[in-house]
Amino acid sequence: MLIKRGLAIVMVATGIFAMEVAMSVIMKGDLLFPSNAAAPGQFPEQWIHGSKSAMDNTDPAVQVHRYNEHTYILRENKAINYEGAFMYVFFGNGVALLIDQGSTSSPALFPLREVVDELIANWEEEFDQSSTHLIVANSHLHGDHYAAWNQFVDRENTTMVGLTHEEMMHYWGFSNYPDERLEFDLGGRKFVITGTPGHQSSEIALYDEWTDLLYTGDMFYRGRLYLEDWDAWAASIKRLRAMADDYPVSYLINNHIEMTKTPMVDYPIGTTWQPNEPPMQMSLEMLDEAVKATEVINQAGIYKYPDFLIYNEVPWAYTTDP
Amino acid sequence: MTKLAGCIILSLAWLPAAHAHMLNMTEIQIAADTTANATVTVRIDLGQSGLMTPESYWDAVSGADLPQKNEVLNRALEALESKIEVVVDGGLRDLKLRDYQIKAVSLEAIENPLTPQMTEVRFALTGAMPTSESIIAIRLKDTLDVPWPCLVRVDYFAALPISRLLTEEARSSGEIRLDGSRAEPGADFLISAVLKLQAWLPSLTWLMVGVQHIIPMGSDHMVFILGLFFLSTKLASLLLQVTAFTLAHSVTLALTTLGYIAAPAHFVEPLIAASILYVAIDNLYSRKVAKWRLLVVTGFGLLHGMGFASALSELALPEDSMLSALMFFNLGVEIGQIAVLFIAYVVFGWLQNWPLYRQRVAEPASMTIAGIGLYWLIKRLA
Ligand SMILES: [Zn+2]
Repeated sequence: MLIKRGLAIVMVATGIFAMEVAMSVIMKGDLLFPSNAAAPGQFPEQWIHGSKSAMDNTDPAVQVHRYNEHTYILRENKAINYEGAFMYVFFGNGVALLIDQGSTSSPALFPLREVVDELIANWEEEFDQSSTHLIVANSHLHGDHYAAWNQFVDRENTTMVGLTHEEMMHYWGFSNYPDERLEFDLGGRKFVITGTPGHQSSEIALYDEWTDLLYTGDMFYRGRLYLEDWDAWAASIKRLRAMADDYPVSYLINNHIEMTKTPMVDYPIGTTWQPNEPPMQMSLEMLDEAVKATEVINQAGIYKYPDFLIYNEVPWAYTTDP
Repeated sequence: MTKLAGCIILSLAWLPAAHAHMLNMTEIQIAADTTANATVTVRIDLGQSGLMTPESYWDAVSGADLPQKNEVLNRALEALESKIEVVVDGGLRDLKLRDYQIKAVSLEAIENPLTPQMTEVRFALTGAMPTSESIIAIRLKDTLDVPWPCLVRVDYFAALPISRLLTEEARSSGEIRLDGSRAEPGADFLISAVLKLQAWLPSLTWLMVGVQHIIPMGSDHMVFILGLFFLSTKLASLLLQVTAFTLAHSVTLALTTLGYIAAPAHFVEPLIAASILYVAIDNLYSRKVAKWRLLVVTGFGLLHGMGFASALSELALPEDSMLSALMFFNLGVEIGQIAVLFIAYVVFGWLQNWPLYRQRVAEPASMTIAGIGLYWLIKRLA
């Protein structure tokens, strides 16, 4: 009797132990996003960059590039829209952040929703996650960066930040735009967000403490930097520089490539084919160039720098091309 | 900063227009205004829309004094008036042209979608003013060709504007609730009610925290209570034990939290597991509740109180209302305990008069509890 009972008690204990071991195998722990060292990532050698004939283009409508396991860079096919805008998907525990929705609305031409849904499903499968919440946000409020926004409105488990300045400020929690620095927690992945108006008056920049990537949207990229408000842009560039002083930055990432590999020379506006593109990512030295520019430029006009052109309060259609 | 320098512009050549309609996208804003009416404002690059050619648009701008030159413009405005449909609470409302501002710098600028030359047209929304409960929708008729996409912005009762995007494929905004609420208003209501209640009665939060430390977080305390349950078939004796246990753990919980005594978790936690094992084995070998069992249970109560305290210390107790928070936490723990006993009674109580209750129910249950206690004991010692 005594032995029988004792055995039963030990068996219960063993059973619980076996169950717990089994559970720990099934249930994985949280994904970790430590800030102490830059999580590495890869940029492609060459982005898909359109084709000589836009009609004959056979590339995917959206190029999906895996920068690292929780960071994806998307690019709209330049043959569908010459903007060739980059979009970003950042993953944290239980949540994904989609920044920008490209330049084409039509789901038939540009099935962004489908691509993002598939990306999330694959990521969930790989990292044993489920019911990931999607945040649909924007770097700034220009139509070439939210054209496919509507594809997400009926998506379940989704937050649409909104397409007005007020909604953007409210969502991120700005009370003193653009001077503030806000902390944003994407499921354990920490971001620092600040205001960067100048190209457009609602723009934000995001710094990812995990990858050390600093996302500068349309206000700083390899191309024609169209500035509607010079003073605001100059202040924003300095704000980004201050951010880079306080946080380690691996690369600056952004929304377009419009420069050729030849310094100071851009591709013609509206081109759907950009052979021999330079990389999209930029360095802090280039940001320093921009800081210097803010100290020199005091007039409207076009100013050329090796890695970008400043179109200071000049209509967008103008170009330096002969 | 000086404004645009003319010399720079003149020195530059125009490029052929690109195809994108991105910078000149259309915007429709619906806003309440002071005239007890609503205004629908449309910002549109008319010269790039299907409503006017760039030439007729330039004519309308440059020859505004000639009535016949405005004929095309008037037709365009009429088209906007009749083909932008605003539905308020299921009823289609007419728009009535109020005024407009038409601008352009040159014909070339109109022709180029990269230099949008926007016209702003304001319409009055006829009929009764929508209320904060109203649901509205905006749609563009299939025959209306505007530079896409079309941003809809509603500025009404909600603190924030509401935005929607109309595209060539999705020409309707769908339902927009003017109070700014989204779907599932019920869930929002519940959350806000709970938040309000908490703000009004913060101690309630601590009561809930206390309950949670039995169900579901305090599984060891829950199992201990069940251990007590399976020994006594008499309610009075069970209540006596539970009361002794409760009084004891209240004392140590308070003393530990207020800093009079300290109990390291690595010491208390294995002992709590051992107490479960002990009570369960005792159930197997004693036919009735011994007098000294009450003493043992009281001792275990002191132990469990220290366990609650270490769990509570992970939460920040409010400094100014520490005592009341502690009291409500303790009360929550009691409620949790009573709930466990209640459930046990519902499940097993009706079996207690069965002659085989002890053999078929109480003993297997106690052995299971003992197994759980043993497992925790080994785990916590390891
Ligand atoms: Zn832009």
